[in-house]
Amino acid sequence: MTGFVDLYTEGDTVLHRMDPRVKIFAVLMLTLLILMISSLVHLLILLAFIALLVALGRAPFSKVSLALRFVLRVMIMIVILWPIFDPSGTPVLATLGPVRITEPGVMRGITNAVRICCLATVWYVLMFTTPQRDLVRALVKLGVRFDFGLTLSIALRFLPTFSATVESIKDAQRARGMEFDKGSPLRRSRNYISVLIPTIISALRTADTLSLALQSRAYGARRHRTYLRELKMRASDGVALAVVVAAFVMPAVAKFFLKVPV
Amino acid sequence: MSTQAPGRPANDASADEAAPANFVSPSVVALYAVLTALTTAVTMTLAVPFPPTRGFFNLGDSMVFFSALAFGWRAGAICGGVGSAAADVLLGYGYFAPITLISKGTEGFVAGAIGKLRGGRPWARVLGVAAGGACMVTGYFVGETLYYGVGPALAEVPVNIGQAVFGGTIGLAISYVILVVLKEFPRIPSRL
Repeated sequence: MTGFVDLYTEGDTVLHRMDPRVKIFAVLMLTLLILMISSLVHLLILLAFIALLVALGRAPFSKVSLALRFVLRVMIMIVILWPIFDPSGTPVLATLGPVRITEPGVMRGITNAVRICCLATVWYVLMFTTPQRDLVRALVKLGVRFDFGLTLSIALRFLPTFSATVESIKDAQRARGMEFDKGSPLRRSRNYISVLIPTIISALRTADTLSLALQSRAYGARRHRTYLRELKMRASDGVALAVVVAAFVMPAVAKFFLKVPV
Repeated sequence: MSTQAPGRPANDASADEAAPANFVSPSVVALYAVLTALTTAVTMTLAVPFPPTRGFFNLGDSMVFFSALAFGWRAGAICGGVGSAAADVLLGYGYFAPITLISKGTEGFVAGAIGKLRGGRPWARVLGVAAGGACMVTGYFVGETLYYGVGPALAEVPVNIGQAVFGGTIGLAISYVILVVLKEFPRIPSRL
């Protein structure tokens, strides 16, 4: 991973307008649902639904393909390695010394790969359609202490700044004759010390002035806070919430009370 | 007869609202925010390019160890855990963030707690980094077994060990240099 990426894309779709609290809750519910479902067919149906959400969020193709490259690598690894370590089940497909490949093992590998794909894409939908500041705002409204939320949003605000600092210091050291892609791994890692130390010192200088800035703006002077932008639940948010809860509760009831395999 | 400012709640006079909030001090907020951002930025941008792992070898651990060794276990646990988990969320592996939060959080916590023994003697720091790295590798192994199964989790262990070793050596080296420079910043709390 080189360079800084922000997955969020500006847009005005249904998913962009949705209350971030509802979106966070929906993603958590869907994550639990994905972890609960164990049938391949149901997981594929769920994956189709999530793909529909990606399409609804109108994510640009370049970002979707970047996301899929990450996911595909993990999926291939699981499909190949899972059967080797899971030799249970009867129809044996192949035997190679102590390794037994069985049909149920292969199926379980594929199921788990699809499950990981579902998990990853659900989170991508959230990151594609929600700006970082809205995520922090939603967390504070959901009960995270304001000073913790402030720390987090300051951190997110400085993230691109520090990424740029790292890149420019790397360029500066390269101009002085530092070679980052030569030598043994240990030597290469050691070269990065000459990038990290200037970066950290510049960051500490930032922290030093930042604490002055916080104090001069009366940070923590009053317990009661007012906000410029309030989050409001609308009717469509209520509908989305109901749909997500139903999508989780119905299979859960079927699995744990009616004993239907899902 | 009461002249109330518009937009103010009627019970404005209650002493509770006018009292100062019991927030964490601004210097701590500034330091933790900056350390978290640094951890996230380094995790996301600094990858050591070398062939076996397709360049997927980041130096985020060096920042976790640095935060822990320079500012103590609390900074290590919070900035290391939250910073690394934030990198996961921002890169789209949100489902993996809880595991990262716990693995890297304990890494920072253990490294900071052991590294500060006897006023941070060299042996204590090395021991802290080794123990912290072991916690991270174990944490990831358990987490990846839950998600991916034993096979892929085992395949990841050497990568994680390598990351802990390189991150640890770099983190140790950096913390020595920075602790000398730290005296020049009067508003940064050196003891937390």
